[in-house]
This record gives sequence, structure tokens and C-alpha cells, in this order.
Amino acid sequence: MYPNVLRMTTDQQILDSLKDASTRELAFRYLVSKYKERLYWHIRKIVMNHDDTDDVLQNTFIKIWNGMDSFRGDSSLFTWLYRIATNESITFLNQRKRKSLSSLTEETQYLADNLEGDEYFDGDEWQILLQKAIATLPEKQRLVFNMKYFDEIKYEDMSAILETSVGALKASYHHAVRKVEDFIRMNEDKIEP
Amino acid sequence: MKTKLNLNTENVTLDIKPSEIKVVKAIDLEIMQEEEKIESEFLKRPKSNPFKTPEYYFDTLEDRIMANIQYQDKKKTKPSGIIQYMKPVLGLAASFALVYLLVYYPINTFLLKDTAQVASTDSTETDWSEAYSVTLSNISENTLVNAIFSEESNAVTEANPDELLAYLSSGMNDIEIYSEIQN
Repeated sequence: MYPNVLRMTTDQQILDSLKDASTRELAFRYLVSKYKERLYWHIRKIVMNHDDTDDVLQNTFIKIWNGMDSFRGDSSLFTWLYRIATNESITFLNQRKRKSLSSLTEETQYLADNLEGDEYFDGDEWQILLQKAIATLPEKQRLVFNMKYFDEIKYEDMSAILETSVGALKASYHHAVRKVEDFIRMNEDKIEP
Repeated sequence: MKTKLNLNTENVTLDIKPSEIKVVKAIDLEIMQEEEKIESEFLKRPKSNPFKTPEYYFDTLEDRIMANIQYQDKKKTKPSGIIQYMKPVLGLAASFALVYLLVYYPINTFLLKDTAQVASTDSTETDWSEAYSVTLSNISENTLVNAIFSEESNAVTEANPDELLAYLSSGMNDIEIYSEIQN
């Protein structure tokens, strides 16, 4: 499928090919192919709805394409891509918030409605409850919880992505889990056995 | 628990004071204890992904993203919005300028002398103020200077007294002319 970039197996090789105008487009296509799913699921857990995720993912890759020249290699490519995807997702949610939502409760309700109205959600009642519990978390805690619990990203990598200290991330995760646990305990009886 | 703590202690550099090491240990211990408690009480259920995507979504994603990027790049190379918006107005202005250069300006330039001549010979029938304003509006400064210092205009200064009297009395009634003559 990618005859000229078959040697691009590492991120560094992709980056080198992106610097060359003749292989730039093909290298970018390879980058999209390599990271599309991981970024999709990362964004999806933040915005929840598939259509919104698709929009945010498109914008993320456009930002990556436009910002390729500014990538200095201080962090890994993976970290840089995740940071852009995270920022795009937060920007998207903030735009929604500015348009129609004003409080955390309304945002939580929006995310919950988004989930229930999404035809591409196939969870059982417990999973719906878990997602609703996650939706009640403040933005930072929600990000940390998703990245740690679902994606199993190391605190060190998370620290580079979110530009927050490891200690603060551990504390955020601890608070997030406690809140999710409390929410589930309070609402578990609503689930039919 | 002790093993983890020892590992953290090994990572501490020599620059850190012993009092600070105690603080780091305390924080790590607290967080790890909480995590272990959490793991044992809450996160025992198997993790599964309840989210789905439309069929073949990822298969066509690269093509859609690349098409989107090409579209964005094309949009960037197009002129900015204000220029696009002003384009019809600028076109219209350019058309007027062209018409002015090709038609209006040559007519004014080449017919100016004829107009001036007609105005001077037909002084009895001409409304002088109107001719004056029309001529001034159509004459450039250079033309005016040339007209003043040209031989033809010098000839006017050598006009005979009768013509001068006729010119001066053109705007007077009979009584005024009579009183002027008497003076």
C-alpha cells in the first residue's frame, strides 16, 4: 500500500520522510495509518459521541499536518500527537459549553445524553453507569482516569502529554476513582440484576 | 510495599536533602496505599470497550483525512476573504477607469481648445460663469499655465479698446454703461 515508505517503521523514519517535500504526503498518510485508531479511541473517551469524535479527529490531523514544521522533537511523536488530540477534544467541549452549557452539571448531562443518543454505543447497563460516572468528573480528572484506566498510559508519558507532574496525576487519578466508585455505589441499585 | 519504597529511594539524587526525601516517601506511600485499596475494592471488573464505530470507518479514514487536508491547503492558497468580497467592486472600478482613459480623457483633451475658442468668439451668447466653471473643471493646471503664457493669450492683451469696452460692459445695464462713460 505504501511502496515508497515501507522502510518507515519507526517514528523517526516517519519524521525524516515528512521533512522531504517529495515524500511528505505519503509519510503523513503513513502516520495517520499508524496512529488513527489510538487517537480515535482517546478522543472518543473524552467527547463520547462518534460523530463528534470524527470531527475532532479530522481537526487533530489537520493541526498535526499544519504544525509538522514546528515539531522540534523535544518530546516523542506519540506524546506530541496525544497532546494535540487532547487539546482539540477539550477545545471542542469548551466550544459546546460556551454555546449551550454553563455548569458542570449541564456538561455532565450533555455527555450522558451524547452517550445514550449515540447509535455506536453498545455497552451494558453497568458500562453505561461507569461512563455516566466518568462524565461527572471534572475535566482534568476525567482525562487522567480515561488515560490510566482504559488506555493504561504510564504516568511519565501522561505527564508529558498533559504537562502535569506525576504526583499531581496520581492524586487526580486517586480522586477520580473515588468519585466514580461513590457514583456507582449510589446508583448501582438502579441496575437490573 | 517496602520494595516499592526502596526503589523510589534509589531514584533520589544526592542533591536532595534528607528532610525532603521523607516528604517524597510519605506522598508516594500515601498514593500507593490508596491505589492498592482502590484496585482491591473497585477496579476488579474486566475492562471492555462499549464504544463502536461504523463499519469500515477506519478503512476510509486516511483518504478522508488526506482529502480534507488537500481541501484546506487549496483554501489557503486562494485570496483572502476581503479581496474575494471586493473583487466585483474592484472590477467595476477598473472598468470605469478604462472608459475614462479611452473615451472621456481624450475627448476632453482634444476638444478643449475648440470649446475655449467657441466660448471666446461667441461671447454674446455664452453664459460666462457657466463656461468658466466648465472650462476650469476640465482644464489641468499645466494646460491653464500654458494657456496663460501662450502667444494666443498674449494676443488678447493687445485687443483693441472697443472690444475691451464691449467685454467689460457685457454684464452692465444701460444706466451703468452711461454712468461709466460719463466718468
